[in-house]
Amino acid sequence: MASIGIIANPASGKDIRRLVSYATVIDNNEKVNIVKRIVLAAQGYGIDEIYIMPDSFMMGGKVIDELLAEGVLRSDCRIVDMPIRADSSDSTEAARAMNQLGVGCVVILGGDGTSRAVAKSIGDVPIIPLSTGTNNVYPSMFEGTVAGAAAAITALSPEPRLTCIHDKRIEAYIDGKLSDIALVDAVVSTEISVGARAIWKTSSIRSIIVTRAHPASIGFSAVVGSLEIVKPEDDFGYSVDIGGEDVMVKASIAAGIVERLNLSLARKLELGRRYRQEIDRNCTIALDGEREMQITSGEAVELCVSRNGPWRVDIRKTLEKAHAEGFFRVTTR
Amino acid sequence: MKGSEESYRNMYTCMKKIREFETTAMNRFADGKIPGFVHLYIGEEAVATGVCENLRNDDFITSTHRGHGHIIAKGGDVKFMMAELFGKATGYCKGKGGSMHIADASKGILGANGIVGAGHNIAVGAGLSIKLRKTDQVCICFFGDASTNQGTFHEGLNMASIWKLPVVFVCENNYYGISMSQARHQAIKDIADRAVSYGIPGVAVDGNDVTATYEASREAIARARKGLGPTLIECKTYRHRGHFEGDPGTYKPTEEQKAWLEKDPIPRFREFLKKNGIMTEDDLAKIDNSVAEAIKDAVRFADESPEPDVSSVVIDVYSDITEEVRVR
Repeated sequence: MASIGIIANPASGKDIRRLVSYATVIDNNEKVNIVKRIVLAAQGYGIDEIYIMPDSFMMGGKVIDELLAEGVLRSDCRIVDMPIRADSSDSTEAARAMNQLGVGCVVILGGDGTSRAVAKSIGDVPIIPLSTGTNNVYPSMFEGTVAGAAAAITALSPEPRLTCIHDKRIEAYIDGKLSDIALVDAVVSTEISVGARAIWKTSSIRSIIVTRAHPASIGFSAVVGSLEIVKPEDDFGYSVDIGGEDVMVKASIAAGIVERLNLSLARKLELGRRYRQEIDRNCTIALDGEREMQITSGEAVELCVSRNGPWRVDIRKTLEKAHAEGFFRVTTR
Repeated sequence: MKGSEESYRNMYTCMKKIREFETTAMNRFADGKIPGFVHLYIGEEAVATGVCENLRNDDFITSTHRGHGHIIAKGGDVKFMMAELFGKATGYCKGKGGSMHIADASKGILGANGIVGAGHNIAVGAGLSIKLRKTDQVCICFFGDASTNQGTFHEGLNMASIWKLPVVFVCENNYYGISMSQARHQAIKDIADRAVSYGIPGVAVDGNDVTATYEASREAIARARKGLGPTLIECKTYRHRGHFEGDPGTYKPTEEQKAWLEKDPIPRFREFLKKNGIMTEDDLAKIDNSVAEAIKDAVRFADESPEPDVSSVVIDVYSDITEEVRVR
């Protein structure tokens, strides 16, 4: 028996960046369609059990009911039995439950924030993050059918991590205690409230810390990416201060938004080392694009880039390896 | 949000004033002092407050059957509001309209409204008026989740989008249309999704965080003033009381109510103000006391005001506009 999990965040892709930038809109009915494609592909490639996170839009129920009505659901597809809080903790709790259920792979539909919520509790279960959010750096745009196939191959593989990348993460410590994590970037902002959560005004940003940076992405990691490229495989991170006088760059800070910024030179961050942040006033720290932590002046804040992130499936590599091993060949008698 | 100290003070005062007004209305209704119906805004204060903090006196709002919060946030006078609830001659509608018809044209309050979904196209009319007069005013249209199932919502968004009208549609999604949960009355979860159909931005925010409603509406209002057209903002919130006073709200699960009470917008903002050193406990207590006094004054004013004269029953029934049309 091989099983996979699906965590589809009904709240992704609705935030204020649709107003202050030109961000993508993906409605929940389309997410239901994507989940259906994942389920059908996964069962088509040999998965017997599929667990879906419960959510306030009841995506899992819709998928099961409609596929049953169409007579195409062959796998044992279930909704994870857990209470719903209708916030990001649902994704974290669902990931924890799926880990305990022993699923072989979890497909995530959402943005950077959803992957971050899952990463908190998924442990070493391989994940496939699909982008249905905003300004996404961590999840990628892949057809659900392809993701379902990759999830099935991963779950069926005796050595699933061979085609995975063990990602980095940023650990945020307050007064020496691990408080939260980010997968891509942490941004120290002079905004004092979490407000509409997303962060889009560069004038309020003091510094950016990244696990990865590339000019081919958007968001605040792209600001660092305009100076230095850091790949997921690289054993270091980077940080820059905004408003420095070392260099001026152009960067894609949000969907359709290119800004000029004065920066300090990027500083390479060693893996596993805690870097103290100079916090001399109340502020917020945005994790993967959303203001999450409200910091009071005087609190000791340390940020650390580590290799403690989740195991992310390299979809292309997984499918190529399966292809090389003859996974797609059907033998007839 | 980087609001000014004055904005923070205004918003705390406004939320407290709405809560105090509504709690008083609740108690006076229970005492039998208020005829008709009252639909209370308790729990949803952060929406009207955050949005209206970005408005000028000459901007417009349209409201709903649950309108007290909107009217207070737009600057309505609590004395005249309370008198109207009490059915007194000094009330906004001379005691003849009650809770659901309060309006104040001098402050751009185009009226509470007893008809679900009636505000959408009044707002579009106000928006068209602004556009034709070439001013930079805006109109905010407040409405609930269930009203977005009405044709008026779709007609209103379509027309506002086509004509790029300066209207910001603010949905207060409190998850219930009277007693029917959103999951039972709507095929979508996020009303913000409906904006896609009309080619306008649609965003969802935490409606119980006044800094979130303030920020989102600030951007949408700025966009509208620049002539860039309407926006749909969905504020996720919750009414603490029943649909109207007298509705025990037994259809709302206990756990759900408990979770939302923990997200009460007023204690949240209070903590935020203290944590960031914007206001002290003393500052906040002073505001609490002055608001309580203002509402007591409003009750006193309403209590002491006369009942409308019987002869007034036939006054204000028809508008003089009929005569004007005939002359033309």
